[in-house]
Amino acid sequence: MAQEYYVLIFGYILGFYMAWNIGANDVANSMASAVGAKAITLRQAIFIAGILNIVGAVFIGSHVTNTIRKGIIAGEVMNDPHVALVGAFSALLAAALWVSFATWKSLPVSTTHSIVGAMIGFGIAAGGFSVIQWGKLGAVVASWVISPVFALAISYVMFRFIVKTILSKKNAFESAIRVSPWLISLALFIIVMSFLFKTPFGKTLSLGLGTACLISLSIAATISALCGKLIKRFVKKRRHGVEGIFRRIQIGTSCYVALAQGANDVANAIGPLAVIYFLVKTGGVGTQVPVPIFLLLFGGVGIACGVAMAGSRVMDTIGTKITTLNNTRGFSVDFAAATTVLIASKFGLPVSTTHAAVGGVLGVGLARGIDAVNFNVIFKIILYWILTVPAAAITSIIIFNILNFIF
Amino acid sequence: MRMPFLSLFMTSPFDGMQEHAEKVKECTCSFKQAIKCYATNDNANLELLKKEIIDMEGQADKIKRRVREHIPKGAIMPVDKFQLFRYLKEQDNVIDAVEHSLKWMSYRDGKDFPPELQDNLIQLVDSVIEVIEELPGMIFETRKYFKTFSNDQRRVAKNIIRGIRAKEHMADIEEDQLKQNAFALQIDPTTLFHCIKLAEIIGSIADHAENAADMTRAMLAR
Repeated sequence: MAQEYYVLIFGYILGFYMAWNIGANDVANSMASAVGAKAITLRQAIFIAGILNIVGAVFIGSHVTNTIRKGIIAGEVMNDPHVALVGAFSALLAAALWVSFATWKSLPVSTTHSIVGAMIGFGIAAGGFSVIQWGKLGAVVASWVISPVFALAISYVMFRFIVKTILSKKNAFESAIRVSPWLISLALFIIVMSFLFKTPFGKTLSLGLGTACLISLSIAATISALCGKLIKRFVKKRRHGVEGIFRRIQIGTSCYVALAQGANDVANAIGPLAVIYFLVKTGGVGTQVPVPIFLLLFGGVGIACGVAMAGSRVMDTIGTKITTLNNTRGFSVDFAAATTVLIASKFGLPVSTTHAAVGGVLGVGLARGIDAVNFNVIFKIILYWILTVPAAAITSIIIFNILNFIF
Repeated sequence: MRMPFLSLFMTSPFDGMQEHAEKVKECTCSFKQAIKCYATNDNANLELLKKEIIDMEGQADKIKRRVREHIPKGAIMPVDKFQLFRYLKEQDNVIDAVEHSLKWMSYRDGKDFPPELQDNLIQLVDSVIEVIEELPGMIFETRKYFKTFSNDQRRVAKNIIRGIRAKEHMADIEEDQLKQNAFALQIDPTTLFHCIKLAEIIGSIADHAENAADMTRAMLAR
């Protein structure tokens, strides 16, 4: 019994470590544009992101997790509880190590892809190459290309649209008052849709496309009409201008990204931990395990800790470096990222918000909306995206073999 | 942490351009004093002011190089990279020409300068300085246009450019006047040559400023 408790405690530590990494590494995705555009201060961003990550993890995060993330390896390998336990440990440790390494080396990587890679490594080590679902892996590879390109296109079009319909107009402020409710409703539509489809909470409702569209449309129409009135009432031309309107909209989109991030990413840290937890408690595990709410809270707090402790360093740089990203640009980036994540996940592609955000920034840059963007960095970023899966897999194989040797 | 994402964003080259324009404008004050010293034959002060301007020219050069060397190959900006470089080059030529004119003056003693032309010289310098002083405002408004893309803002920037052209034209007239008056005087050829060349160098300051304005106009083109 005592030994099992040690296993569990070790699992908790690793799970927390992984969640911490997610917070430290991914907070830039959601809050970067808002802080860069000076819509909110650094302190506010950390506070909001921390709270929303916890809320997202606990209330929207999945209560049932696939033991094998994204079904990338066949289920048979999990039949042996011993293999499953060692596998969960090695996957968690390998993914956490890779993300830590990335954080230390300042590489932007996807935590989802890290855990997918680690799972592949465990699958290969436990059952050989035949257990890998190569089709699913192909989808991961496709997402490297699809999500940035898609986000780039959307943010480009969105920014050109804002320029054409608002900024270049003679009375830009009045145009903004007129057009912004439509943009809000479009953004809200995307947001509600992604809540219904992308978040685990929405998936439990299991709505059809038509119903979901109808719900999203009605919510979007109501709230945006309300927002339109509020903007008219509170945003003054002299004091705030066009950017003032978009500043308010952008805070909303950033918050959404933070919330969705908590909801989606908590499973990366908590999924393997849940497997360990159930193996220790019940001695067996299927392809799906329920996740107790305190584990979700645990993961959410871990992410929030990561945001508070290390996220500030990232955002500090953002505050000084992305000052050229003002509110209209920031909105375009957020909008593109959220839309890409929704649509891609609707097609079942494991996309990463990081990839979409990078694509979004480039899109606005190509629309000549940012003072200066460095395209060269892209090749570096792409290299690390591609490296993530094999690196996590190899680490996972090594750790699995070591742990197997010891126990 | 996550720096590659952040390093997508570079320091804006417009910051450097603005700084450079301010530096160019800064030299106008010393330039005017130097001309007065020359006309009044105050050689000690002229030497001091010349040093000051050479110093400023060095600083402006550093800013120019800093901007140019920190734009990587894959940079995406609202304006073409080479347009930006050409602009900087012309703006730098302004301060180079100021320095050149001071050096040219110092080749001959101030007392050899015909007193009849002193007023012309001061008027020419005044009209040239008026052109230079528009540069920081022009780049400021241009930058604002790239932030807002508003047509009104574009018009503001274009108006400044139009103003620079008009002022450059005035400087041309002053330059012609000085040359004409110099030929009208019966002075020795060396003095005449020195005066004509001086007028041309000072006139070229305004030409370079106008070129910079034309570059800006090209950036503003849709």
